[in-house]
Amino acid sequence: MTRQEKPACEWRSHPLAAIPVRRRLSLAAGAAALLLTPVSAQAAGTVAGTDIVNVAQATYDGPSGGSPVTIDSNIVTIKVDELLDVTVVSSDPGDIATSPALTGQATTYQVTNTGNGDEAFTLSADTAKPGDEFDTTFEQIILDSNGNGVYDPGVDTIYTPGTNDPVLAPDESINVFILSTIPASASDADRAEIELSAVASTGSGTPGDIFAGQGDGGGDAVVGSTGASDEDSGFFLIQAAEVTLVKSATIVDPFGGTEAVPGAVIRYQLVATTTGTGNLTNLAITDDIPADTTYDAESITLEGAALTDAPGDADAGAFDGSSIAVSLGTVPGGQTRTITFQVTID
Amino acid sequence: MFKRLFIAIALIAPGTAMAANNVSLSSDVFIERKVAKPNGTTAVVLEQPKTVIPGDNLVFVVKYKNVGSAPASDFSVTNPLPKAVAFNGTSDGTEIVSVDGGKTWGPLSALTYPRDNGDVRPALMTDVTHVKWKFSRALSAGSEGKLIFRGTVK
Repeated sequence: MTRQEKPACEWRSHPLAAIPVRRRLSLAAGAAALLLTPVSAQAAGTVAGTDIVNVAQATYDGPSGGSPVTIDSNIVTIKVDELLDVTVVSSDPGDIATSPALTGQATTYQVTNTGNGDEAFTLSADTAKPGDEFDTTFEQIILDSNGNGVYDPGVDTIYTPGTNDPVLAPDESINVFILSTIPASASDADRAEIELSAVASTGSGTPGDIFAGQGDGGGDAVVGSTGASDEDSGFFLIQAAEVTLVKSATIVDPFGGTEAVPGAVIRYQLVATTTGTGNLTNLAITDDIPADTTYDAESITLEGAALTDAPGDADAGAFDGSSIAVSLGTVPGGQTRTITFQVTID
Repeated sequence: MFKRLFIAIALIAPGTAMAANNVSLSSDVFIERKVAKPNGTTAVVLEQPKTVIPGDNLVFVVKYKNVGSAPASDFSVTNPLPKAVAFNGTSDGTEIVSVDGGKTWGPLSALTYPRDNGDVRPALMTDVTHVKWKFSRALSAGSEGKLIFRGTVK
């Protein structure tokens, strides 16, 4: 270097404009640490295999005011490597209510390629996580082939590791279902954790690990910030309910006593008590009219209100000639329903 | 006719035909890598990469030298940004930039960028398509220097 030019810039107002090059370069080194903040890139960034080609140009006037001359610098080409990144997120908004002994119960996940190359991902399910109240029996992993986010039996594709590992483009997602069988032994309010893991097929590990030459587009594959592996969990919650029925009778005889003699009226009371966190759907209570008694017409009550005997009408009561029936519909756990009816001893 | 021929020669071989003020230009691209030092601190070193990954910080160095015998006036250096690189500033701030592919130029703070709805907003570093340094003085024979800007792999 013989001497330094002073390229005073056209923007003369800039305080650094007149500083000689050598001075400016030392400022450059000092400023380097302050300028490290990365520019936020797109989610996946530049596609793997892209060449970054840089050429600078200089323009100056030819001799004695001649035509401008433009020259190109050398060309620098850098290839963008494949970044291996993946995220797994449970798509279920909360615990999935289920009941003991059900099969084909689905938890839903979204697997997203957050890297910058086409990449296949190996999926695995863990239904035996510690720290929950029960484990389900793993059935299958299903790929949402029609992309509607809902498990469609017979439509969506059964996943077999190593055979149909989903290949995702940069930023592409796929919905994945894990099907479970709920054990019959599971109790009301028990929870089960179901985890889906996705691992980049090229490799995973510590961010920065390099798989030389294995990147999409011909470069290297580099493990990204996710470690090229991720997992998330969905949860099942058992919501069961049970009903217990208690029957009692009071007798009023024609003489004002409580003797079970012909002509005495027996008033039966049925108390249905539901327990548990779930619902009992279409709960119906029926009771046969005992032998040697005659049903007192229109005597059914529910919660103290009279019901009619006619079957199929708007109210819940019915008498078919041999037994009474009361349809209670869907009853949540933790409630009681009291039914009464009367018979007369023949 | 003679003049037209002269221009043609200049375009074909600008260096040899114009021995009087012959400028050479070279481009180097470095990547900043953080290296942990034994004493626990982190050092930033520059390497010349063959490959990069999104998020890598690059340092572009353009070296110029007037290797001829006469000054080069109206000297300017332009570096179009590769598509996959987001501009991240220069070290001295004396550059002008373009955010529209080289049509209009100015300091970044003076430029605007069109929004999708037709409005304009102040231009951001990530909008920059070209970086340029214009020298108000002629580049005298034998003088040289470096221009540096930074970018991030998108």
